[in-house]
Amino acid sequence: MKVNIVSRSGREFIKGGLELNDSATVADLQEAIHKRTKKFYPSRQRLTLPVQPGSKERPVVLHYKKSLKEYSDGNQNTLTVVFKDLGPQVSYRTLFFFEYLGPLLLYPVFYYFPVYQFFGYKGERVIHPVQTYALYYWCFHYFKRIMETFFVHRFSHATSPLSNVFRNCAYYWTFGSYIAYYVNHPLYTPVSDLQMKIGFGFGIVCQLANFYCHIILKNLRSADGSGGYQIPHGFLFNIVTCANYTTEIYQWLGFNIATQTVAGYVFLVVATSIMTNWALAKHRRLRKLFDGKDGRPKYPRRWVILPPFL
Amino acid sequence: MAFQVLFLTLKTLKESSHEHVYNAVEKPLLLAQSAAVLEIIHGLIGLVRSPVSSTLPQIGSRLYLTWGILYSFPEMRTHILVTSLVISWSLTEIIRYSFFGLKEAFGFAPSWHLWLRYSTFLVLYPTGISSEVGLIYFALPYLKASEKYCVRMPNKLNFSFDYYYAAIVTLGFYVPGSPHLYSYMLSQRKRALSKSKKE
Repeated sequence: MKVNIVSRSGREFIKGGLELNDSATVADLQEAIHKRTKKFYPSRQRLTLPVQPGSKERPVVLHYKKSLKEYSDGNQNTLTVVFKDLGPQVSYRTLFFFEYLGPLLLYPVFYYFPVYQFFGYKGERVIHPVQTYALYYWCFHYFKRIMETFFVHRFSHATSPLSNVFRNCAYYWTFGSYIAYYVNHPLYTPVSDLQMKIGFGFGIVCQLANFYCHIILKNLRSADGSGGYQIPHGFLFNIVTCANYTTEIYQWLGFNIATQTVAGYVFLVVATSIMTNWALAKHRRLRKLFDGKDGRPKYPRRWVILPPFL
Repeated sequence: MAFQVLFLTLKTLKESSHEHVYNAVEKPLLLAQSAAVLEIIHGLIGLVRSPVSSTLPQIGSRLYLTWGILYSFPEMRTHILVTSLVISWSLTEIIRYSFFGLKEAFGFAPSWHLWLRYSTFLVLYPTGISSEVGLIYFALPYLKASEKYCVRMPNKLNFSFDYYYAAIVTLGFYVPGSPHLYSYMLSQRKRALSKSKKE
């Protein structure tokens, strides 16, 4: 089969096109493109079917597992695909690792080292017990996230654009330092002992629940990464679509109840709004996918992320 | 209102000097810029098409300059940059709102008006933005000395705020923000002017 590869502006991207087996899959085509161009490895490529100029329809993205035949309208022997360079890619593991490494390393710097001298605070710093517990809580949280990244999570997309690494690291590292600055501040005012215990206690319970949610999500997908979208069930997923986000949000709430900083609450609000957007998208996708028609199961009625509000 | 600001500015410049421009335009300026908040809200609820991501920084920076710098720090009001700032803003607004107004009323605007709407920014953006940056920069010593709007630790909420450092961070946002906005306007210009040629 002959495959013509054009750029989005319609120019021929690979001179003369590529000749492939009739049984070739999209993955084979991507390999062939990689071989010819050297630079564009498969996860950097986005291949779509051409759309009629002027039409507002979204182009069909070629799935790497399907065979080229499926896209070529039956027995035609040529196929034209549109190539887009997605830019340099990194694996999700790398992305998550660097995101979480920042807060894990930066937070203790504010606790252990005399950084506040540079902000104009001289003299001895008295460390409150809550600040020490907060350090352990914080480090445990990010250590847990890194461990989950390597040993628990299964990713539906293999890679993410390199630019996301810079964006996400900026987000996590700045917020981490911003919160660490206030919680470890020499003029920090602690909350009552009871409030601290309630906060950390509630937070730890939520972290454990969050870990269990991640185990459940992992078991939804088979080991080779296939399986696609499934209806999550069991434990808190019977009530909420994104119980993993719910527990994550509540564990930050626990941390904030115990440490009480405006910085922490600002982070909580920002993180909640980001996760809510993801949760709404996921909920919508699952509801659309499992519509109860043609033998497909119907998606049960559930909260999206924050019961009893949403 | 923008007309009024421009008129008062020119009148003051002619009759006295640039030191008196702020006092002459204060009321309409504060009112006009604060009313621009409505534009963000309109964008949010979908009343107008322009995206919030482009209106928010524009109007936010204006509110910051009018209330946060000029209104709060009278020392800055006599600066020469106030004049260039006010002229840039009011000219842009006169052209912009009269363009929207004509389109709203008659469904179209004359082609020279369209050209003005999408061309004057080529000059007025750089003058406006450099006036803004200059005024913030020259206000920094006053911000630091006065400690106005500052919150200090310790407090129960474990919060602090320093207006001086906030201003430096704001200046930092201008570095990527200005070229971004300018290139956005350039693409808008290209689209609007090529569309009008086709018709």
